[in-house]
Amino acid sequence: MAAAHGGVRVRHVSKSFHVDGQAVPALSDVSLSIGMGEFVSVIGPSGCGKSTLLKVVAGLVDADSGDVTVDGESVKAASAEKKIGLVPQSPALLPWRTVLENVTLPLQINKSGNEGRDLRDPKELLEMFGLGKAMNKYPMQLSGGMQQRAAIARAFVFDPAIMLMDEPFSALDEMNRDLQRLALVDFWQSNRKAVMFVTHSVPEAIMLSDRIVVMAAHPGRIAAIIDVPLPRPRTEATYATDEFRDLEGHVRQVLRDQMEVAHV
Amino acid sequence: MSDVTVSRVARVSRASASRKVPRWMHWRAWLPTTVMFACVAVLWQVVAFSNPYVLPTLGDIGSSLVNDAGMYWSNFLITLQEIVVGAGAGILAGFALAVVMAEFRIVERAVMPLVVIIMVTPIVAIAPALVVAFGFGMIPKYIVTGLVVFFPMLVNSLAGLRNVDQRALDVMKTLHASRLEVFRFLRLPGCMPYVFAGLRIALPMAVVGAAVAEFVAAGQQAGLGSLVTTSAAQANLAVTWGAITLLAQTGVMLVILHAVVRKRVLWWSEDDVTAR
Repeated sequence: MAAAHGGVRVRHVSKSFHVDGQAVPALSDVSLSIGMGEFVSVIGPSGCGKSTLLKVVAGLVDADSGDVTVDGESVKAASAEKKIGLVPQSPALLPWRTVLENVTLPLQINKSGNEGRDLRDPKELLEMFGLGKAMNKYPMQLSGGMQQRAAIARAFVFDPAIMLMDEPFSALDEMNRDLQRLALVDFWQSNRKAVMFVTHSVPEAIMLSDRIVVMAAHPGRIAAIIDVPLPRPRTEATYATDEFRDLEGHVRQVLRDQMEVAHV
Repeated sequence: MSDVTVSRVARVSRASASRKVPRWMHWRAWLPTTVMFACVAVLWQVVAFSNPYVLPTLGDIGSSLVNDAGMYWSNFLITLQEIVVGAGAGILAGFALAVVMAEFRIVERAVMPLVVIIMVTPIVAIAPALVVAFGFGMIPKYIVTGLVVFFPMLVNSLAGLRNVDQRALDVMKTLHASRLEVFRFLRLPGCMPYVFAGLRIALPMAVVGAAVAEFVAAGQQAGLGSLVTTSAAQANLAVTWGAITLLAQTGVMLVILHAVVRKRVLWWSEDDVTAR
């Protein structure tokens, strides 16, 4: 049954961490699916397990129970076939490689996974990301925003089926974040992938997503899933629409309710 | 490629444009050192002229170095050989063991206690035993010199190989990178700041190691360390201090060489882990 399911399917995943001999539940019975070409944001207070969930889907953390399929396969098989793109919280570019060499890196690793896929030309991709002139520079010569864009290009270059982004803009200042957000929306709208985007910014989640998954903490679980029916393509003007503001109010309300429950 | 060179050049010229004189020509750069050296030299001469049996004058040391240049040179070459072969092997072995330990934790658990025991054992105590085992040739000296540099190289390289950017490692893991790929693309280049920090400690110690090796494992071949002991026994202070001067010079040269190579190899590393 799962074999036919593209994108990501998470079923009844639970995970506990052991701290001082005590089991602290991080995720409790989380189920979620992300369709092909669907952009899903995961938002919630800190400690709600949103990063843990992303790491489980990335295959970096093993769940205690439940299962995850990516493109109909186990995470391990999907990763061996290079179907998972990861954009971490910090750009994590290698400082001894130029931007171009950094973006080329995924093509040099696990080459058997390159077969029969639509690899992108790193140079072309960097041009599309507005990094054409910075291609031969080293990461430390770039601004934080440009570094993060290079990290996103690094994830797109090998054409993965799903893209996992872990608060990629959280280290940027607000004006820069907005710029990067719009650039990502713009690029994704013409290069649709299944995306799981972890964030703690409500406007960011609304601007980018088709659906928003609101998580609650202690233990980490899904509290609500909110559809974002805003039409695409979205641009800066989308922020000013009534629909956007209504939705923002609604998401904030749901989040606030969760936080209050947690603090009673 | 040309873009890079241009931008690097641009950075350099911007930096120097803000000062009208190059930094090294500014008096603050060289005057304090020069004054300090002059003071030490004066003090030295005062002691040397009043106590000729304690210190030779700088002039005596200088003329000994010039007149016996050939003798010093051949001794220097032997000490240099000990450093190049002994310390070279010790550096490579320390790095190689660090790689194996970083990749296989079980090896670290097995070998590390033994390494620590060897390292806390005074080298001076091991050396005579090495002479008994290996004779009066160069081998005991290579071993002593190698042992001295082995530990700082091992510990620093191991720290560097372990200290990888966790998030870059995550990216590689989702790509299903093999262990060899992680090593080649991430650990090996990433550990270089630590390797150079290790070298910064190991290279001056290599000179110490070579001199000590010659003291305690005296052999047929002399070297600058042996020259110090034999000339001191004969109260030939000018030669003793001539040899000491050359030993110090060798260390200084190694430190300069290290700095030059480091700058070329590690231009990308912002933080100098050597500076602690």
